[in-house]
Amino acid sequence: MIRLLLALVLAASAATATGASAQSLLDWTEEEVRSIGRHGPWPPPPVRDPSNRISGTPAGILLGEHLFNEPRLSGDGKMSCATCHQAGRDWSDGLAKAQGTVELDRRTPSLWNVGYSHWFGWDGAGDSLWAQSIRPLLDAREMNGGAPRVGALLRDDRAFACGYEKAFGAAPGRDDELLLVNAAKALAAFQATFVSPRTPFDDFRDALLAGDRDAAARYPLSAQRGLRLFIGDASCNACHFGPRFTNGEFGDVGIPFFVRPGEVDSGRLGGLTRLAESPFNLLGKFNDDTTGENARRTRHVRRLHTNFGEFRVPGLRQVGRGGPYMHNGSFATLEDVVKHYSEVNPDRLHSDGVPLVRPLALSTDQSADLVAFLRSLDADVPPRPAVPPLCP
Amino acid sequence: MRRLLIALMTLVMATPALADCPLDLGRGTGWVVFSDHYMIAFRPDPVRVEVGEPFALILNVCTKGGDPAELVAVEAQMPEHKHTMNYKPTIVASPDGRYRAEGLVFHMPGRWEISFDVRAGEESERLSHDIILK
Repeated sequence: MIRLLLALVLAASAATATGASAQSLLDWTEEEVRSIGRHGPWPPPPVRDPSNRISGTPAGILLGEHLFNEPRLSGDGKMSCATCHQAGRDWSDGLAKAQGTVELDRRTPSLWNVGYSHWFGWDGAGDSLWAQSIRPLLDAREMNGGAPRVGALLRDDRAFACGYEKAFGAAPGRDDELLLVNAAKALAAFQATFVSPRTPFDDFRDALLAGDRDAAARYPLSAQRGLRLFIGDASCNACHFGPRFTNGEFGDVGIPFFVRPGEVDSGRLGGLTRLAESPFNLLGKFNDDTTGENARRTRHVRRLHTNFGEFRVPGLRQVGRGGPYMHNGSFATLEDVVKHYSEVNPDRLHSDGVPLVRPLALSTDQSADLVAFLRSLDADVPPRPAVPPLCP
Repeated sequence: MRRLLIALMTLVMATPALADCPLDLGRGTGWVVFSDHYMIAFRPDPVRVEVGEPFALILNVCTKGGDPAELVAVEAQMPEHKHTMNYKPTIVASPDGRYRAEGLVFHMPGRWEISFDVRAGEESERLSHDIILK
């Protein structure tokens, strides 16, 4: 009798649990499941950049980590890459405007998953992670270093010279420009390892695709409703597409162009000019990919008048842990960002066709749902291990 | 099945232009677009077009009368949003008579309209084809 009662109680509990999970899973259509599936799987395979021969090599990554934390690369010996791209701040700095030797006009972008991009910087002036890594080293407003400084460090510092030889198979020579490029390739190899962990969204996505309704139902309802908006009425996934939640391209989302009275940030338009003028772009002699395959975007990209005021579509993984937001740090919180898309002025966007960005007119609940979804793209990050020496 | 084969063979034999203009570009996939004067067969390379990923098109361009035809330009736009690609394709003619349009990238999901400008002698025309990318 006791056994029978126990069995009945267990059966009732199981039925309740099943009922509860069925209630906490939205009725997703096949089309929606397909759309959700496009945001994974996560993580992707490790980065191998054919333009960078030390990409993915342990010696290259280690050299890059040491260089990343090295203030002697800067003009005043006080600033390293890690000054702005801080591991403890999701590879950014928490500031609205980046701080170099002066305050800059744009925010320090997070470096999470940066190795999977194909355009770099807010304006896409870099077509490889190593080319982009050269820019702040040389820019007088940022690290204000220079090729001779990088060359001297790699040649004269015994540990760096040893680490360089391990990474590149030859001791550093006298060509400072080549040493600058190779230092940037090591920096890129290191940055390409910044892959964000799996998130509650990834567990939901995988469970939904596998038909595991109980596991999928563990994903909060508010996040599910926000996701439905994201891939549905709000069409956020038109640009925030794919596993990284970005198509890697550029858009004008209604943020003011002016940085000071009478001065504008032209965004992608200026970036394309700098890309074409750069001796370090993928059409140049420093590209290690002799097939030219990886330079296809650079070869074919075109300047359009609509590029004015466009900025790179950022990936959304770890987005809730960052902020301020937008290329110029003009919004402090995720709630502010959602409010912007809810109320954006359509007259500012000059779209001839169906506008990609339009005022969504979200209710308070819808806004909260969208934020809940965005926060489900966050994951805690394990502490980083101590950096091993270059040449023990 | 036998009837279909006979019908296809009869069509090819009766239409020399079609025989000279193979519309099957291999790999078992692709599209054919045509007008009163032109036929274009094309397939993407790689076969699966992904959002944000560069791809090429391999094309055969023919006239129905058998006159030589030339591919002048390939372009694509999203008609709903009135924007083109962020990339400009280049066209290379292969020794086998085919064309390769390199450097296409569809950077958003949705409906893309690919347009082909073709020319035979003094006559030119634009043909188009829609692809829905999900």
